[in-house]
Amino acid sequence: MSRLARKAAAAAALLAVSGMAVAQSAPPPPAAPWNLDPFPSTYRPLPRSDLMLRHATILDGAGKRIDDGDVLMHDGRIVAVGTHLPNPGGAREVDATGRWVTPGVIDVHSHDGTYVLPLTTIDRESSDVAELNDPNVADTWIETAVNPQDTAFDRALQHGVTTLQILPGSSPIFSGRSVVVHPVHANTVAAMKVAGAQQGFKMACGENPKEEGASSHRGPTSRQGEIAYIRRAFLDAQDYRRDWDKFRAGTGPAPKRDMKREALAGILAGDIHINMHCYRADDMATMLSVAREFGFHITAFHHAVEVYKIPDLLRADGVCAVVWGDWWGYKMEALDAIRAEAPLLDRAGVCVTMHSDSPAEGQRLNIEAAKAAAAGRRVGAVVPEERMIRWITSNPARVLGLADHVGTLAPGYNADVVLWSANPFSVYAKADLVIVDGAIAFDRAAPPRTPVSDFELGRRAVQP
Amino acid sequence: MSPMLRTLLAGTALIAAMPVVAEPIAIIHAKAWTMQSAAPVSDATIVVDKGKVVSVQAGGAVPAGATVIDAAGQNVTPGVMNAATQVGLVEVSSADDTRDAAATGGALGAAFDVSAALNGNSALVDVARSDGMSRALSYPGASENVPFAGEAATIRLREGADILDRERVALFAVIGGNAWRKAAASRAAQWGILRAALDEAKVPGMPSSDQAILNRRDIVAVRQVLAGAIPLAIMTNRESDVRAAIKLAADYHIRVVIVGGAEAWRAADALAAAHIAVVLDPDANLPNTFDQLGTRQDNAVILAHAGVTIAFGRVGGALQENYNAGLAVREGAGIAVSNGLPYGEALKAITVNPMAIWRPGLAAGAIAAGQDADLVVWDGDPLEPSTNAVAMLVEGRQVSLDNRQAALARRYLGAATAPTQP
Repeated sequence: MSRLARKAAAAAALLAVSGMAVAQSAPPPPAAPWNLDPFPSTYRPLPRSDLMLRHATILDGAGKRIDDGDVLMHDGRIVAVGTHLPNPGGAREVDATGRWVTPGVIDVHSHDGTYVLPLTTIDRESSDVAELNDPNVADTWIETAVNPQDTAFDRALQHGVTTLQILPGSSPIFSGRSVVVHPVHANTVAAMKVAGAQQGFKMACGENPKEEGASSHRGPTSRQGEIAYIRRAFLDAQDYRRDWDKFRAGTGPAPKRDMKREALAGILAGDIHINMHCYRADDMATMLSVAREFGFHITAFHHAVEVYKIPDLLRADGVCAVVWGDWWGYKMEALDAIRAEAPLLDRAGVCVTMHSDSPAEGQRLNIEAAKAAAAGRRVGAVVPEERMIRWITSNPARVLGLADHVGTLAPGYNADVVLWSANPFSVYAKADLVIVDGAIAFDRAAPPRTPVSDFELGRRAVQP
Repeated sequence: MSPMLRTLLAGTALIAAMPVVAEPIAIIHAKAWTMQSAAPVSDATIVVDKGKVVSVQAGGAVPAGATVIDAAGQNVTPGVMNAATQVGLVEVSSADDTRDAAATGGALGAAFDVSAALNGNSALVDVARSDGMSRALSYPGASENVPFAGEAATIRLREGADILDRERVALFAVIGGNAWRKAAASRAAQWGILRAALDEAKVPGMPSSDQAILNRRDIVAVRQVLAGAIPLAIMTNRESDVRAAIKLAADYHIRVVIVGGAEAWRAADALAAAHIAVVLDPDANLPNTFDQLGTRQDNAVILAHAGVTIAFGRVGGALQENYNAGLAVREGAGIAVSNGLPYGEALKAITVNPMAIWRPGLAAGAIAAGQDADLVVWDGDPLEPSTNAVAMLVEGRQVSLDNRQAALARRYLGAATAPTQP
């Protein structure tokens, strides 16, 4: 059972006994409220099939390349990775000669389901990308907005994405909780939700929140104002967390639940993991100071276009850099973005991850990695393919706290696997098979005959 | 720029007026995509002088005194042309005061000519050049004088502030819905005004009525279209609008180019019959607006198969079309190939086709005697985004492939040393 599920079960058990007048023995301490999940996953894997992929070029996601390699999957797990593997169970064999096999692509920064195309003027007035009534919307859960009929999920899956994290947008400072999903078709986000993922949270610094503050007159209008706001909020959350700690230790009364404070208390407790939107090196350095001041950990800086200026700071604190391949220049804090950032960070020993932030880029994280690597080559920072693949597999798995489950092809890992028609860093490569949890979720040889999303169904403009 | 030439320039930097003398250049051992035949010429020698290609020949001789660039068997293509960007007109898109792409207020509609705003010192220009882009169309953004945006210019990515190739090469109009800015309430109004403007311009003299749609400046631009001197570029996506554009071209006997054309594949045969070219984004497979519901990844394939002249522009959306104008258009061409477009057709869509659409009749976009000498030597397949340009000529001169990003990368490369393992 995952840590989150365990805590939820403990909480449920507590609720069950709390009705009794007297506890028989010392009850377990009440669960921290920030660990309760009011929107539990109902995801079930698609019908699984045992598969043996033969004679492929394998990039295992852990840094190893195997030529003429085999991958055996059984009952949703990877059983073996190697060469000339036996197939005692008689799993269906797929000849992958000339093709490549990698772990499923993981996108840790998506707005799919909330930035739903086509956009209309309605989105301009009231978008689901982020709640904007306050700079602190820590009580929002993005999964309560996700429209599973977004065609972007289907496009992502067809391009090899097996896991993605949907984050709220960056206009608030405390933007709310994220959700991790498989891009499989379902009618509710709960049925896509990955069970057991750590609880993610989005925070933002820099231009976006201050512009929102200036235009809405509801928040800080400067970088220093943002940081002051963040410190005030954590100071307050420290008190709140202390009240809960006392209650849970049996030395204080039950605090009144406050969903904004409890999310921040969960961050302080290390149970809720921060995905921090920042661009500039100085912004990130400041946030690392704030994290040290209040004793919390930042899981990853997202966008993070200037980490190449301060790689030692992220490396020292074990913070991942979530970056693009080639986005730059469109706003002041993105002026110093460089294409070679990922190879430079890889070389510096920083955990580096590609991300999309867009339903278009979300289909081609492999190509984003290829572009970044090419720019690295230009300045002498050469990264081999078996390391590049980590930028879109095992490193993002680490950001999501799923590094022991997905992102690597090794025995015991979930069978999230992509069979590519060619080298995945080629623009000509296609995802031939996309396997999620041991089930073939997309087969290019047998594509869906009707649109996957209800949105596209029955629309004349879509039909040939 | 050759190291020698760079040194020379550094030494004479203060002599501003000193012209750079173009010397004959020979690119040897090139796999030359001449765009004159489907297959490349192997081991080609391409001789360039006075800004033009002199010859391209397998195993050809190097003229005496020529500077030699050894392509070592790598691909050499014409300079890439992006058929629709706003490079040179935009610096920081979120900062209004650094954007010159649109006449969002004031008197100018059709007469808004972007060429006066072009800035060759823009950081975006260097990035595009380093990705092998030697030419592009820079188009005006939507104005308040619906449906006209203004007049586009072609740019040439020579070094220096002046990147103008030719001003007023097309009149741009915007028709249809836009999620964020819909200047006229209905596309019926947009089409109505466009037709009324064309009718008005047909009448000799200047409009005197207060009710006139076009002012004296705008009418000159519209008459250029009516005279057949420049095309009317209609930025539109929906099938009904594409078909309305075909009808407009026939009714007024004008040359129309569709820019966008997400649903153009639905009218492919009609576009081919009307000889209307389409500038499209081959990356697109999601509908940004309701006008683009029929967006599909093989739009380019269907159009090319039907015989429509296609070129790639506005590739990758608002960010990529400008900030990575050279890389995105190559990546888009690669994506088109991966979705079924023949390789040669994809290469045409970023070289000869955009030239034929925006600069018809000009000897450029191919590698042949007399053609403009814009050439790129690559370290791999030019349609792979992971391929780098390694040498480039614009107007027959070797140009720098350096840019701010590379300078920053070099500055901080030292910070990126591997950590010492404890």
